Amino acid sequence: MIEKVKFFLTLTGNNLWQFRTRNLFSVTIICLSFLTVGIFLSLSNNLRDTARQLSNNLTVAFFLDKELPAAAVQALRDEVGQPAFIEEVRFVPPEEALEKFRASFPELGDIIANLKANPFPPSIEARVRSKVSASGNVLEFVDTMRGRAGVTDVQFNQDWVEKMQGFSRLAGAVGAFLGGILLLTSFFIISNVVKLNVFARKNEIEILRLVGSTNLFIRIPFWLEGITLGLLGSLLSLGLLFVVIRLFPFYVGSSLGALQDLLSFRYPDLAQALGLLVGGAATGFIGSATSVSKFLKA
Amino acid sequence: MIELFHIGKQYQKPFWALSDVSLRIKDGDFYFVTGPSGSGKTTLLKTIFRELLPTEGQILINGINILRIPESKIYRLRRRMGIVFQDFRLMFHRTVFENVAVPLQVIGVPRKEIRRRVFATLQKVNLHQKMWELPARLSYGEQQRVAIARAVVNNPEIILADEPTGNLDPELAFEIISLFKDINKQGATVIIGSHDRELIRHFGDNILFLQKGKIVGKEGRA
Repeated sequence: MIEKVKFFLTLTGNNLWQFRTRNLFSVTIICLSFLTVGIFLSLSNNLRDTARQLSNNLTVAFFLDKELPAAAVQALRDEVGQPAFIEEVRFVPPEEALEKFRASFPELGDIIANLKANPFPPSIEARVRSKVSASGNVLEFVDTMRGRAGVTDVQFNQDWVEKMQGFSRLAGAVGAFLGGILLLTSFFIISNVVKLNVFARKNEIEILRLVGSTNLFIRIPFWLEGITLGLLGSLLSLGLLFVVIRLFPFYVGSSLGALQDLLSFRYPDLAQALGLLVGGAATGFIGSATSVSKFLKA
Repeated sequence: MIELFHIGKQYQKPFWALSDVSLRIKDGDFYFVTGPSGSGKTTLLKTIFRELLPTEGQILINGINILRIPESKIYRLRRRMGIVFQDFRLMFHRTVFENVAVPLQVIGVPRKEIRRRVFATLQKVNLHQKMWELPARLSYGEQQRVAIARAVVNNPEIILADEPTGNLDPELAFEIISLFKDINKQGATVIIGSHDRELIRHFGDNILFLQKGKIVGKEGRA
C-alpha cells in the first residue's frame, strides 16, 4: 500500500514538473480566485465582529433639558431603570460629556476651548442587556421615553448595529458571488489545463491501457495533480491574504479616518482557512476528474 | 488456446481488411503471420488484443469470448499479453527503464522486484547500459528493443509482435527472434506479424499467409 502511494506521488510529482508552466498558470488562477474570496471573507469577518461588539454594547442615551430639576431627572432615571432588559443606568452630567468629547476628539480641542458655555446637555445612558438588544420591546420603550417631558432627544445605536450587520451580510454575499464566479472560472481553467495535460499524454494513456492498466490506475495521478494544484493555489492565496491584511493599514494610512476600522480586514479563523484549503483541493479534484473521465469515456 | 471464427473487419465499405479468417493457435505455439503490406497482419493482431473490434466473427481465448468482455475488464485480458507495436509506442518523456517497468507497475509489482526484472530483461535485449536514457536518444533498432523488453518483462502467456524486426539489421533481427523463441520455450504463445521471408524460413514452425485480408495459405500446424 505504502509502495503504491509512493509510486503515485512520485508519478504525480514528475508529471507536475513536466508541465510546470501550464501548471503554474492554473495555480495562479486558483490563487487569485481564492484570494478574492478570502479578502471578502476577512472584510465580512471584520464587519460582523464590529456589529457583534456594537450589539453587545447597545446603549440608549436620553438627552435631557438643561433646566430640568434634579427630582425630575431622578424620576426619569428611575423609570429608565425599570424594564428588565435594562442592565445599567447612569446619569452623565454635561461636564463629563464634555470631558468625554475632549478625550475622543483631541483635534477639536481648540473649538471647545473657544466656546463660552458647555454645549453638552445632561443625559441618562442606559445599557441594554446583550441578549435582548434587538427586541421590539426596547424600541417600544425608547419611543415611550422619547415622549416624556424633559427628554429633548434620544440616541440609540440600534441603527448602527443593523447597518453593520447589513454591511457584513453584503460583504459576505459579494464575496460569495464574486468568489463563486471566480471559482467557477478556475474550475473551468483547471479542467482545461488538465484536459491539455491529458491530451499531451494521450499516447501515454493509450500505452497504459494497452499494457493492462485499469482506468483507476490512469486516473489517480491526474486526480492527485488536480488536488495538488488546487491545494497549492489556495495555500498561496492564504499566504497572500495574510500579506494583504498586514500591509493594508500601512497602505491606506489614516486616509480613511473613522471608516478605517470598518474597512480593515480580520484574519480568517482556522475553520475558514481550512475551508479555503479544502475548497481549493476540491476545485482541483473536480476539474481534473471531469476532464480525465471525459477522455477515458471517449 | 486462441481461436478465431470467421473474423471480418471492415474499416470502410466496401473494403474488407480481414475477411473470413478462422484459425486455432494452441498454447505454446510459435506462429508467424505473413503477407505483403496491407494484407491484414496488423489488423489481425489488433483484434486479438482487442484494440480493434472485428466487424464479424468471434474470438475465443482459453474458451472466453473476448469480444464480450466489457471495456472496463479488458485490462485483465491485456495483462496476460505482451504486445510489440509496429510504431513502438514508447513514452518519450520517460527513461528506458520507466518504459519497460510500466507493465509491472500496473499490476502492482514491488519496486525492488521491478528493478530486478527490468534490469534482467534489458540485459536480454542488450540495453541495460542505456536504461537511464530517454528513448529519443536511442536508435530505431534500440527503440524497438525497448518495446520488445516491455512486452516480455512480465512473462506474459501470449506475445503479439507486429513487425518486431522491421528496423533491425539481420543479425539483430535473428537475435530478437531467438529471444522470442526462448520465451516461447518457457511456455508463452508467440504470434509474430512479419514480412521478413528470411526470418520466417529460419524460425517459422507455423505460418499463416494473408493476402488482401484473406488466408491464402498455411504451413506447419497453422
